[in-house]
Amino acid sequence: MDISEAPAVNSRRRGNPVSRILSSIRDGNGFDILLVAAPLVFLVLLAGLPLIYNVLMSFQQVDMFTLGAWIRPFAGFDNYISVISQPEFPLVVRNTIIFVVGSMAGQFVLGFALALFFAQNFPGAATIRGLFLVSWVMPGLVVGAIWSWILAGDFGVLNAILRSLGLIEAAIFWKSDPNFSIWAVTIANIWLGLAFNMLLLSVGLAAIPKELYEAAALDGANAWKRFLTITLPMMRPTIGAVLSLGLIGTLQQFDLFPAITEGGPANSSTVAQYWAWQMSFTLYDFARGATISVMMFVLVLFASILYVRSTRSEVRG
Amino acid sequence: MTRPWTQWVLLAVALAMAAVYLFPLYWMYVTSLKTNSEIFANPPSFWPADPQFAIYPGVWARRSMSTFLWNSTIIAAGVTAVTVILGTGCAYVLARYRNAWVDVGLFCILMLQVLPASVMITPLFVGFNQVGLLGSPRLAVILASAAKAMPFFVVLVRATFMSVPRELEEAALVDGNSRVGAFFTIVLPLARNGILVCAILTFMSAFGEYIYSKSIIQDPRFQPASVGLSGFLGPNSSDWNAIMAYSAIYVTPILAVFVLLQRRIVSGLTSGALK
Amino acid sequence: MSNVQIELTGVDKHYGQFHALKDINLSIEKGTFVALVGPSGCGKSTLLRSLAGLETITGGTMKIAGEVMNDVPPRKRDVAMVFQSYALYPHMRVAENLTYSLRLKGTPKEQALAAAEEVARTTGLSHLLGRFPRELSGGQRQRVAMGRAIIRHPKAFLFDEPLSNLDAALRVHMRKEIRALHDRLGATSVYVTHDQVEAMTMADRVVVMRDGVIEQEGAPLELYDKPASRFVAGFIGSPAMNFVPAMISEDGQAVLLDLPDAPRLPIGRALEPGRRVSAGLRPEHLTVTNAETAALRLPVGVVESTGSMTYISSGTDPEITVVIHGRSPLSAGEVMGLTIAPENVHLFDVESERVI
Repeated sequence: MDISEAPAVNSRRRGNPVSRILSSIRDGNGFDILLVAAPLVFLVLLAGLPLIYNVLMSFQQVDMFTLGAWIRPFAGFDNYISVISQPEFPLVVRNTIIFVVGSMAGQFVLGFALALFFAQNFPGAATIRGLFLVSWVMPGLVVGAIWSWILAGDFGVLNAILRSLGLIEAAIFWKSDPNFSIWAVTIANIWLGLAFNMLLLSVGLAAIPKELYEAAALDGANAWKRFLTITLPMMRPTIGAVLSLGLIGTLQQFDLFPAITEGGPANSSTVAQYWAWQMSFTLYDFARGATISVMMFVLVLFASILYVRSTRSEVRG
Repeated sequence: MTRPWTQWVLLAVALAMAAVYLFPLYWMYVTSLKTNSEIFANPPSFWPADPQFAIYPGVWARRSMSTFLWNSTIIAAGVTAVTVILGTGCAYVLARYRNAWVDVGLFCILMLQVLPASVMITPLFVGFNQVGLLGSPRLAVILASAAKAMPFFVVLVRATFMSVPRELEEAALVDGNSRVGAFFTIVLPLARNGILVCAILTFMSAFGEYIYSKSIIQDPRFQPASVGLSGFLGPNSSDWNAIMAYSAIYVTPILAVFVLLQRRIVSGLTSGALK
Repeated sequence: MSNVQIELTGVDKHYGQFHALKDINLSIEKGTFVALVGPSGCGKSTLLRSLAGLETITGGTMKIAGEVMNDVPPRKRDVAMVFQSYALYPHMRVAENLTYSLRLKGTPKEQALAAAEEVARTTGLSHLLGRFPRELSGGQRQRVAMGRAIIRHPKAFLFDEPLSNLDAALRVHMRKEIRALHDRLGATSVYVTHDQVEAMTMADRVVVMRDGVIEQEGAPLELYDKPASRFVAGFIGSPAMNFVPAMISEDGQAVLLDLPDAPRLPIGRALEPGRRVSAGLRPEHLTVTNAETAALRLPVGVVESTGSMTYISSGTDPEITVVIHGRSPLSAGEVMGLTIAPENVHLFDVESERVI
């Protein structure tokens, strides 16, 4: 195959470079390379480069004057120090934790309960379960708008229902009470992500062989014991994937914030992803926006390592 | 061995839970039809006493929804086109080969899938500004959203391609077809349904996209319906019947498509989401 | 003018570190039916797929009808392949499946359809031309897969375990049908199977492979009578040959088995006395005789009868299996006497496992 040794033979057999490439696309690996290269270039340009650029900006001075410049003053860790020393920083961290943990716990527990319920054999189970997924295909902003209205303090229907059930005395000002504002968004997010969690958990449940339950029942295990000794252990990879997807999804959730509380009152419902956006697009402080984004990214990286680990068997399998 | 009556009890409970879960949707439609005074009635009424259907044409005209929805459609169509054209081939190759490179590729795609839009928007905005893409803001949003939508599309469509036996393609090669020919006449037709479902999902999520459009498109003539909705939405909104009417007009097409294709969408999702 | 249709010289195939085919040399004459047989992972399917062009070989030359095919894509090789899963195009009707290759070649529609009808007649598919593959039974799908190959009049037919998805009765029937088809078309066929019975009954030549190497190549009965290695001896023939560790006797004329009382079996030739060997005795070559006088006396372990045949296993280690026609009066615990003709005692080297 050495071209220098037998040029004549090679050129006769292989033709000129253009036709060689064309024939590789028709019959060889060139086709695969072409199919992969186009999306690869696209993703590198629109996801890979911005990601690197983001890290770069977090070490630069970026303001309205240097926005269009290619070379900007180096800022070292100034942006990081300034973000951490913002007065609202501890509050944002607290809110992010509440939002993430609250959303994940709510979505998972309710989703698992529903998945177990719909795993029972009754007419229409699959169809009704499928209906739950409408929450997942709706635009986030519309979901936010609806929940904003349901959670309204004076005339919101949730307060009216809770009052008529005798659960609360006075109306809760979900959106404007700093003690509740982050929970208002969390409730909406639980509703939004619940169905997807249920769907994935249902898939996991359906994959458990029925014989296992029958064998356990013959061995004398009651329903609760069967759940503990068969369902939970068999579901472990699925649960791992669902939890890490829940973490990723919660960190991606943005639309509910502008629709329900706009982070307020007094940042009491601002979470990291909304804060980053506010920095860049309401305060035009792109450097600090980029800095918060980098911090977020590290968190997401951690979540996705968990995700990849929990789905590795399926990815390879 | 569930006895019939327990099945009906379970069905009734399931319907009740679905009703509770879907209550927000119901509330959207009901509120949109209420009069202003009925909206602020206490306790609230669960059925509009005097349905105001005139609100729909009113909101449509007043909020220039035709422009907003047209922009949403353009953006969603663009995102879907870019995603399907680029993502299908990528998914095919990732499904066809099993080696270290494919594992690396899958890992990168999973990583891209998890990047929050709020992380990406700042560098994208600054970068688009520098290369002058902000001058055609809808195109900029299409490119950014397609990059966001593609990983999910690739993961789902890859599962579809994996269900097409490789031997079929090999048979086509031996029968005298080229790689390109076999891909278009054998593999694509067999994966068509899965690709279609994923394309519809991509379209639906791009139709509701907000953060990129809000950040990149400043001119109201080019803004999609999500940005239009945010224009009169906030912690202190009070125009609830108009907001709900706007929302209803916005989501009803999506809901209709979803209900029609529910079975396929669910099966498409479940085949790929965990793989 | 040689009559060689397929010629492999020094063919190598690597998958990364894994050496799947090692220096394969094989020539297949026009009109012969060759079976590639061996355990799974032996490289037989890789070899077949390399012939089809679905795998590229990493070394050596591969010629089909005199042309070097190493870098030729499958579509230009003019070979037809029948897959294990049949690989019928699910979105095409039977007629379209049959004519797919013709349409690719640009054959006019009427001509292609006439060819399909002709092939359908010979394979008994005439009434199924309008059906989709999912509407066919397993046997019918198999015929469509065959028809799709036949219609092309290719230079060679490649079969990749085409019968393994059929039930036992249909498999026996299709075996004969495929062979009859091969003879009628005067085709050159390469047939991969893991079932040695299929290989023995169908093929003119059998190639036994193991770990990417050809262990032995020859006519079916040649392999049965003169296995070149312990592996081939154990692979060909059912039930499998008994192997007993043994030693050549002091006079070199017999072999002493490592069994109780060290039974002595004459071998009809002279070998180096005291040499360690492995003795191979086919179950059907052992005959039961008078237990008092026989050289080989073994306790009966298990007696299994199928009616026409009886399988007797000895209660020794290693176990010796004997097959006899009809029924046996023996039962477990008794002692049986066995004899074997000297020419039926196969001896293998302990180290190389080659025949001695």
